[in-house]
Amino acid sequence: MPELLDLCRTCTRMISLGMFLIAIAQISCHTVKPYQRAYLNDAAMQTGKRPIEKLSSNAHNYREGASGGGKAKGGGGCGCN
Amino acid sequence: MKKNYIVLGLFAISSAYGFSQPVVNPFPKKKVPKAAIQVVYSQYLQDGNHSAITGGIGTEKLQVYAPEIIMGIGSDSLNSYSIDAGVDVISSASMDNIDFVVSSASRVSKRAYLSVDYDRTMRKDRNTTLGAKAYASLESAYNSFGGAISYNHSSKDQSTAFSGEFEAYFDDLRWGRYNGVSPLQLVYPSELRYYKWFQAYLRQSYNFNISLQQTVNKRMVLAILPGISYQHGLLSTPYHRVYFIDGSERVENLPPDRWKIPLGIQLNSFIGDRYIIRGYYRFYWDDFGIIANTISLDVGIRLLPQLTLTPSVRLYTQTAARYFRPYGKADSAQTYYTSDYDLSAFNAIELALEANLAAIDKSMHRIDFSNVSLRYSFYKRTDGLYAHMISTIFNLNAYKESQKNKFDGGF
Repeated sequence: MPELLDLCRTCTRMISLGMFLIAIAQISCHTVKPYQRAYLNDAAMQTGKRPIEKLSSNAHNYREGASGGGKAKGGGGCGCN
Repeated sequence: MKKNYIVLGLFAISSAYGFSQPVVNPFPKKKVPKAAIQVVYSQYLQDGNHSAITGGIGTEKLQVYAPEIIMGIGSDSLNSYSIDAGVDVISSASMDNIDFVVSSASRVSKRAYLSVDYDRTMRKDRNTTLGAKAYASLESAYNSFGGAISYNHSSKDQSTAFSGEFEAYFDDLRWGRYNGVSPLQLVYPSELRYYKWFQAYLRQSYNFNISLQQTVNKRMVLAILPGISYQHGLLSTPYHRVYFIDGSERVENLPPDRWKIPLGIQLNSFIGDRYIIRGYYRFYWDDFGIIANTISLDVGIRLLPQLTLTPSVRLYTQTAARYFRPYGKADSAQTYYTSDYDLSAFNAIELALEANLAAIDKSMHRIDFSNVSLRYSFYKRTDGLYAHMISTIFNLNAYKESQKNKFDGGF
């Protein structure tokens, strides 16, 4: 039961932080027209895991307790944590 | 009437002696990308002194050689496929300490994997894409089959994008497939094979990951990356030893369920025309008691239009799982226990340098070299484990020639 309460508190904090950041982004963001997207369309600007980082990401899955969060899968498929 | 004949005659003469434009082939051949190919080679060299196979002490020397090939095929504007296949050759000094019957064979292990992806863009809504993936991995002591489905949608002006992916993996921890052993069995340390420590030998993992991406301005994009994972089954590693205060010894035992919640935030920005900054932070929580924080920073420096250097730094910290005890410190009265230092409290730093070189000459050959990337990183934990990692990727495009109308698609 204490673990469940702890989990609920953590989830609530995370969701609140995420929504706060999205709200800030929405307030401060500008509309970008298609012909203005030269920088945004650059391959280096793509979010998430890049192919060249795959080895590092797999090593983190094996050698660390944490996983997931956009950079790698959450678990399974390997003899990792 | 006479005037008409004169006009006709003049017209006939002028057409006989006039010069027209040279005949141009109205259907020039153009290259159409058929497939994008990535040839990858990676190498991982590790050492340390807290091997879980020997209860939290002993060498962690390990080498992994990993060639891989990834091929992406866009069959038309709506459907695309990709195939990812590779082999990991793993050489581990600590694996000898499991003490297989043929001990020298345990030093080198192999893992082969294959992943097939399919993406379909919706015909009526070109901003929505559905995807599906199938995955298989075969290793001497670990086999996995899995799949995933995904959904991607972006707004009409491309300023906001949402993607969600659900993955499921079904793993079998028994050993013997590569060696033709029957029946398959879990591998325990040699001195502990008098007892069947686990009834279960399967593990299921379910991951749900979301990405919310928002364009902030012409040079900046923000992404929120929450996720949730659940694992069930045999989460222990059957050949890990645990030594207790009272001098006894057992196989590692972890709970059969585990919840994980990561939350990542990423901010990418162009600074001027030459610098790209990628910042990432992740908070992680799980019910094993591990709380972790990750922060990383990449700075891409465009030295030339074709050459980019990217130094990066990553800092990581985690608390220990509540079941972890160092070598010889575990309590035999506890239900769950491990001496795997991957679940201990530590800090880690990773420094990396990446170079990316794009092709200058776009020739008309069937296969073009697009660019090559090379990345070296050094990873060090405060418990003494360290690793060198090298990756290189060659990006190639395979073309087919097709005849297209010169008025189709522009000038």
